[in-house]
Amino acid sequence: MPGSSGSPVLEARGLTVSLRGAQVLRDLSFAVKPGEVLGLVGESGAGKSMIGRVIGRTLPQGFAVTGGSLLFGGRDLVGLEAEPLRALLGDRIAFIPQEPLTALNPVLTIGQQFGEHLERLRVPRGLRRDRIVSALTDVRLRDPAALLELYPFQLSGGMCQRVMIAMAFASEPALIVADEPTTALDVSTQAHIVQIIRGMQRDHRTSLLFITHDLRLASRVCDDILVLYAGDIVEQGPAREVSERPRHPYTRALQASNPPLGGTRRRLATLPDQMPGIAGFASLPGCRFASRCPIRDGACASAVPPLMEVGPRHRVRCTQGCLSDDRGLVPGEPLVAVPLDGRDPVLRVEDVWKHYAGKRDWLGRRHPGVDAVKGATVSVAPGEFVGIVGESGSGKSTLARLVMGLEDATSGRIMVDGVDVTANAGEARRIRLGALQMVFQDPQSALNPRRPVERLVTQVMEAADGAGDAERLARAKALMRETGLPVDLLDRYPSQLSGGQKQRVNIARALCVTPRLLVADEIVSGLDVSVQAQILNLLLDLRQTRGIGLLFISHDLAVVRYLCSRVLVMRNGEVVEEGATEAVLGDPRHPYTRSLVAAVPPEDMDVPWPPLAAAESV
Amino acid sequence: MSRIALQLLFRRTLLAIPILLCVSALVFGILRLLPADPIAMSLPPGATAADFEKLRQSFGLDRSIPEQYVIWLGRLVTGDLGTSIYFRRDVGDLIAKALPATLELVLLGLVLGVAIGIVGGLAMFSWRGRMGEQVLDLGTTGLMAIPEFLWAILLILAFGVALPILPFIGRLSPELVLPPPVTGFLLFDSLVTGHLRVLGSALWHMVLPAFALAIGVAPLVMRVLRSSLLDVIQEDYVTQARLRGIPEHTILVRHALKNAALPTISLIGVQGGFMFGGTVLVEMIFAYPGLGNLMVDAVRNHDLPVIQAVGLVYCVLVLGINAIVDVVYLAANPKLRVA
Repeated sequence: MPGSSGSPVLEARGLTVSLRGAQVLRDLSFAVKPGEVLGLVGESGAGKSMIGRVIGRTLPQGFAVTGGSLLFGGRDLVGLEAEPLRALLGDRIAFIPQEPLTALNPVLTIGQQFGEHLERLRVPRGLRRDRIVSALTDVRLRDPAALLELYPFQLSGGMCQRVMIAMAFASEPALIVADEPTTALDVSTQAHIVQIIRGMQRDHRTSLLFITHDLRLASRVCDDILVLYAGDIVEQGPAREVSERPRHPYTRALQASNPPLGGTRRRLATLPDQMPGIAGFASLPGCRFASRCPIRDGACASAVPPLMEVGPRHRVRCTQGCLSDDRGLVPGEPLVAVPLDGRDPVLRVEDVWKHYAGKRDWLGRRHPGVDAVKGATVSVAPGEFVGIVGESGSGKSTLARLVMGLEDATSGRIMVDGVDVTANAGEARRIRLGALQMVFQDPQSALNPRRPVERLVTQVMEAADGAGDAERLARAKALMRETGLPVDLLDRYPSQLSGGQKQRVNIARALCVTPRLLVADEIVSGLDVSVQAQILNLLLDLRQTRGIGLLFISHDLAVVRYLCSRVLVMRNGEVVEEGATEAVLGDPRHPYTRSLVAAVPPEDMDVPWPPLAAAESV
Repeated sequence: MSRIALQLLFRRTLLAIPILLCVSALVFGILRLLPADPIAMSLPPGATAADFEKLRQSFGLDRSIPEQYVIWLGRLVTGDLGTSIYFRRDVGDLIAKALPATLELVLLGLVLGVAIGIVGGLAMFSWRGRMGEQVLDLGTTGLMAIPEFLWAILLILAFGVALPILPFIGRLSPELVLPPPVTGFLLFDSLVTGHLRVLGSALWHMVLPAFALAIGVAPLVMRVLRSSLLDVIQEDYVTQARLRGIPEHTILVRHALKNAALPTISLIGVQGGFMFGGTVLVEMIFAYPGLGNLMVDAVRNHDLPVIQAVGLVYCVLVLGINAIVDVVYLAANPKLRVA
C-alpha cells in the first residue's frame, strides 16, 4: 500500500487516452508522492479532467485508455476489475467535485448522504452520527448537528463543498482528486475552500491531484505543476519554478494573458485563435501547440518534441526558445489612461431601487420579498469604462438589467443623454435602445441557433425599414472585421463557432446600432484566459476606434482593473465602495472590498495566500 | 400527516367547490338543452297527454332550467340526489351500491398497472442498449396503440372464450350470495365477515377487467420511469455516488429511483383520472355492476337525475385522486416541503 515515503501514491506511465482510435491524451507520465499536491493545469478541453475520469472510470462514451498504465499503490487502475476498483473508490481514493450543489442528491438530507458514505465505509450505525458531526466540525461548518436534517438546496455552494470535502476525508484516503473544486464558488469562498483542503491534506498527509484552469491558483495550492495543452504535457516542475520561471511559450502565454491585480497595467499579450476541440487533437502535427506558437519554426510541425530537462525536476516540451528566458509572449505596452471629455454622461442612474415581492408558492404562502438593488447611483461618461464588482447575489446583474430596461425599477431615475428613460415605453424606450446595448454572459444561449452569423449580427436592422439585403451584408462584413472575426464565418451557424467566436458575434451584434455604451454582464467569465484576453483587448480597441463606453459587470477584480478606470463594489444590493479603480483596489477602505482583494492570490509568491483568517466558520 | 399536507388538502377542497359548481351547471344545462325526454321514455305506450303532464310536474320538469338547477343544487347540498326517473329509486342509493364496486376495480387496476409499470420501467432501464429494451419498447408501443375497451374484448376472447380459465361476466359466481354489507365494499366485507369463497370469486372476476384497465396505465408508467431514470443517472450526484464506491443497486434504489419517481407520480395522477373514464366501457363489457354501468343505463334511458349525479361523482373522484397524488408528491419531494 502507498504510504512508505518515497514510492509514489499515483503514477502514470505513458498513459494514453484515445477517442475512437485517435490519440487525445498522449503519453502522460507523472508521479504523486505521499502527502504531495500535484496540479494539473490547462484550459477547458485540454484533457486535464480526463485523468480523474480514468481513475473513477467515468470516461465519456467513445473514450478509452489505449496505452500505458496508471498505478495506484503499485496496482494498475486501468486493468483493474470493476469490483476491486469500486472497493478503492470512496475509501482509498476520494473525489471533490466541481459543482458541489449538484453533487449532492436533492431528495436526501446531508445526514442521510453522509450516513450512506459511512455505511459504505462499514462504520457501525451507532457511531455514524458522532463521526459526521466531528467531520463537519473539521471543515469548520457551524452547528453541524442541525445540518444533518437539511437538504442540499438549503445550503450555499460553499457549505455543500465543505460537506463534500468532509466526506472525501472521512476514510483517510491515500489520494484525493479535486477537479476545479472552487471554480463554481465566489472568490472569497474560494479562498476558504482552498485553505480547508490544503490544511486537511497536510494534517492527514493525503496526496492530492488538484485540477484547475487557473495557473495562479495552482501555483499557490500545489507542490508540483503539470501544464497540459491539447492532451500533451507541455511543462512540468515544482510549482514555484513553473510559475516564476515558465519556459514553455504556452505557459508563458497563460501567464501573460492573465491580468495582474497589481503593478503597471500593460496591454495583455494574446495568442491567436483557440485550442481545437478534443476530436481535433490527433490531427495537429508535431508539437500540438505549434499552430498558435509565437516562436515556432518549420521543424515544430514535423516532429513531437521530447520533454527536456531545463532545471531541477523542471521539464519542457519544446525544441525552441524554452532554454532562454526572454522568448515567447511578453506583456505589451503600458496602457495609458484615456482622458474623458467633459461632456454630460451617457448614462446616469440615480438612486435606483429594485424590490422583488415575495412570491406566493403553490400552497399560497407568501415569501418575504427582497431588495435586489438598494439605491444605486452610477454615471458613465462617453468613452468611460466603469466596472461593477461583487459576488453572486450582490445585485450587480439586476442593476444591469434595470439599466437596459429588462426590469422596471421600483423607484429612482435612469437617464440616457439627459433624457429620463425610466418609464420604459415609446420614445424613452427608443432612445435607450439606440444608445445602450447589452452583451450577455453565456455566448451560447444568447445566439439563436437557427440563424447564420450574418442574420445574427444585423438582427436589429430587421426592425429598421428599408434595410436591403445588400446593405445588411455590407454592415455584417464591417462588423466582422471590427470584432476580429473572419468574414467567411458569415454563413455559419452558432454551433459551428468556438466560444470566443460566439462572444465576438454577440459583441458585433450589440455594435450594429452604433450604441454609445455597452452593458456587459460577466461576458468573459465562461471563456478561457487566452480567449478572455482577446476579448478584453477587443473592448479596449473599440474604445479607441468608436469612443464607446462600457458598464462592465464582473466578479473578477483583475479583469475589472485591466479594463475600467472607475469601479463600484456591490454587496447585498448596496454600493459599498466606489472610486478610481487603482485607488479602490490598491487601498480598499470598506472591509468587504478588502476581503474581496485579499481573496485573490497575489502575483508575488512571497506574500502568503490564502490569508490566515480565510477559513472562518460558516 | 404534516401541516403542509393538511394545508394542501384544505386548499384543494376549497378549489374543488367552484370546479364542482361549474361542472354541475354544465352537465345540468347541456342535459336540459338536449332533445332528451325522460318522461316519454318512462311512460307506457298508451299514456295520455294528461298523464304525461302530471309526471312532468312531479319531477319538476315544467319549471325553467335555472329554477330546476337551483332546486337540484339546494337538495344536493342536503345530500338528496333526487329520484331516478327510470328506476324510480333514490339516486343516492343507486350510487352507494355502484360506487364501491367501481372504486375497488379502479384501485385494483391502478395497483396492477403501476406495479407492472414500475417493474417494466426498471427492466427497460437495466436492459438499456440491449435486446430486452427494444422488445419492451416495441411491446409498450403496441399496448398503447390499443384502447382499454378493445383490450377488454381481446382479453375475453383469449382467456374467457378460447382458453376458458377466467370469468368475464358480473362480479360474483351466480351460485354465491352477497355477504351482509358492512361498508359496501365487497372485497372488504367478505374478508371481515369471513366469506372467503365470495372474496376469492370476486377477485377472480376482477382479474380481466382490472387487467384491461391496467394496460392503459402500465406502458406509460414504464416509459416515463425509464426516461426519468435515464435522465437521473446522468446527474452529478449519481456520478459522485459511484465515485464514493456506492454499489450500483444502492445507487439505483436510493439515488436514482427516488428522483425518477417524481415525474412518474405526476403521471399516475393524470392516468388515475383517465382510468375512471375507462371504467365506463370496461364495466359495460364485463357486465360489472359499477358506476360505469349505472351511467350507461341512465344515458340509455334519458334518466337525467342519475346522469347528473354520476357525472358529479366522477368529477369528485378525479379531483380526489389528484389531491391524493399531490400529497404523495409532496411527501416525495423535499423541495416543496422546505423551500
